[in-house]
Amino acid sequence: MLIELKNVAPKPIPEEMIEHSEVWGTDLKIEPNSFTLISAHSGKGKSTLFHLLYGIRQDYTGEIIIDGQNIHKKNTDDWTKSRGDKIALLFQELKLFPLLTAQENINLIPQVNSHSPSIEEMADRLGMKDFLTQKVANLSYGQRQRIALIRVLRKPFQLLLLDEPFSHLDQENEERACSLIEEVARTNKATFLLTSLGQNPPLSFDRILSL
Amino acid sequence: MNKSFSKNSLHACLRVSGPSRELWIASLGCLIGSTLLILAIQLYQDATTFLHESEGPKNYFTLNKKVEGGALVNLGKNEQSFTPEELEKIKSLKGVKRIGGFTRNQFPLSLYIWPSGKVGLGAAAKTDLFFESIPDEFLDFIPKEWHWDENSSLIPIMVPKFYLDLWNFGLAPSRIEYPALSTQAATGMPIQLFIGKRRETILEGRFVAFSKRINSVLVPANFLQWANTQFGQPEANDFVFLWKNGSIEGPPITRSSIPGLQGEPDFKDWEISPLENPAERIPAPQAILNKKKASGPSRIILEIAENPSIEFLDHIKEKGYEINREFPEQDLVKKAIHVVFLGMIGIGALLSFLSIATFAASFRLVVSRASEQAKNLLLLGFSQAQVSQVFFDRFLRIFLIILSLSFFASYASKVFLINQARFLDPSLSVDSGINLNTLIFLATYGILYLVVNKRVIEKSVHDLMK
Repeated sequence: MLIELKNVAPKPIPEEMIEHSEVWGTDLKIEPNSFTLISAHSGKGKSTLFHLLYGIRQDYTGEIIIDGQNIHKKNTDDWTKSRGDKIALLFQELKLFPLLTAQENINLIPQVNSHSPSIEEMADRLGMKDFLTQKVANLSYGQRQRIALIRVLRKPFQLLLLDEPFSHLDQENEERACSLIEEVARTNKATFLLTSLGQNPPLSFDRILSL
Repeated sequence: MNKSFSKNSLHACLRVSGPSRELWIASLGCLIGSTLLILAIQLYQDATTFLHESEGPKNYFTLNKKVEGGALVNLGKNEQSFTPEELEKIKSLKGVKRIGGFTRNQFPLSLYIWPSGKVGLGAAAKTDLFFESIPDEFLDFIPKEWHWDENSSLIPIMVPKFYLDLWNFGLAPSRIEYPALSTQAATGMPIQLFIGKRRETILEGRFVAFSKRINSVLVPANFLQWANTQFGQPEANDFVFLWKNGSIEGPPITRSSIPGLQGEPDFKDWEISPLENPAERIPAPQAILNKKKASGPSRIILEIAENPSIEFLDHIKEKGYEINREFPEQDLVKKAIHVVFLGMIGIGALLSFLSIATFAASFRLVVSRASEQAKNLLLLGFSQAQVSQVFFDRFLRIFLIILSLSFFASYASKVFLINQARFLDPSLSVDSGINLNTLIFLATYGILYLVVNKRVIEKSVHDLMK
């Protein structure tokens, strides 16, 4: 997916944040199938950028164009369709259902991506195989992050947005997760954006942007 | 790409405890309201059908002149018949649609009724009787056996329903040889008809129907016409005094017997006079020449418009005619039934409306309590329709249980009420089921209820993403 940001700035945002940003208030083009790291400290608008791209927020100026379409013109049904089979977002707050098991949570998506590995394989690679039948409420935050990651990788997508996905993972688990993410994203020929608080995850990014 | 989620997980993640008190109140309101509505609509139809069948065409009734005075005074009188002028006047009154005359038998008639079901078996109820006929178009209903021609072996007879009641509750308890009879048994009884003073002719008849309306013993008009021609004594009732030498000679004689006296030596000097006015004497030979004027019917049946006009009622009062119905009471019963059922429908509708509103409010609250989970599902890419459906399924389960309970409660109430009514009147013929119209209403009501609540739920889910 080709993403174009034309002088985009969320409302409200301090003027100085726009001045020093490589994203806000600029004309930016993110090429299809590219891997982009968006690095910034807290409060710079990393999640906001993803929320704009995911259609959750419409309070911005400028234009966001995805595959030639101004997303401001998309209606509810368009967004439902996009979220179902085009754009996958891993929320920072994960949005899991604590009373369901890990497996039930992973399955709770409208459609499954037939190109993604099986749940068992992904869970095995992330060290979560033995926790699939446990209720999410009983898992640690790091484990929940991995369950949410498996769920997002099981969705069909052409644009993958991961919002600080490794914040509670140790280095070993981060490396395993990065390997899986890179593999699935490449298989899907997806445009991939990842946010971090300044760290550089072990992924081969085409571009690193500072917010 | 294919689906991975199960409906159960979708339901499970949106399972929040609803406002149970509100849901109970809404359910109870819906149950009572729906039951009242179904019952009122069903009973209203039953009552209307029953009244219609009991009273027949509501605008038909009979009219006759009042009979006054003692037996001796009335013995010589002709029938209290309506003159053509009187008939014309009645016909012209406001609201009168049409009139028809009752035809009476003009021959002596007695009956043997065999309650045992077989002629000659057991005791017969014996009675002198009369027949009348009216044009078929005035009958409230025409029984399928209501047919007679000269080759028919049976004469169909229709008697008032209260004759059967008199038999069952008056005659039968006092006479061991007369069993109580159901309507069905009564229609199976053979009846011997003896016609003529000396019972010269015997015919066989059957009761084919019991009218709750026409207060007479009716036979088909063509039979009575035939029988009157065959056996009629048109002047049987026309009695006169016979005067010999200026004084009344013996008891009254019939006018038809006068020609038989012509051979008497002093016949030309005799005189006759009507019983009611002995002073109007005329020579007996002249009486033979004076044909008695043909008289009109003594009883008529009328069809009027919706309600009798004041002009019509005044005319009846003024002429002193007798009418077989009391309109104000009829109207009162109907009005009472209307008011009762309208009240039931009103209360039922109000309760149902309030329960719809309570359900709607409760489910808005359910959606609101599950708003976080519902939002998450929408953000995962589930459509608003899919999320709404989860809440709607929950409502649907509750509603279908309530509606089924309402249906069975209405059905049971109706069966109970009909049984109570049958206890009072065993011959009551009202179907104890729920008819198609009520089922159609029930379906429409259910759909309306569902549509309203579906809309409310969809709107609540839609508002989550605002």
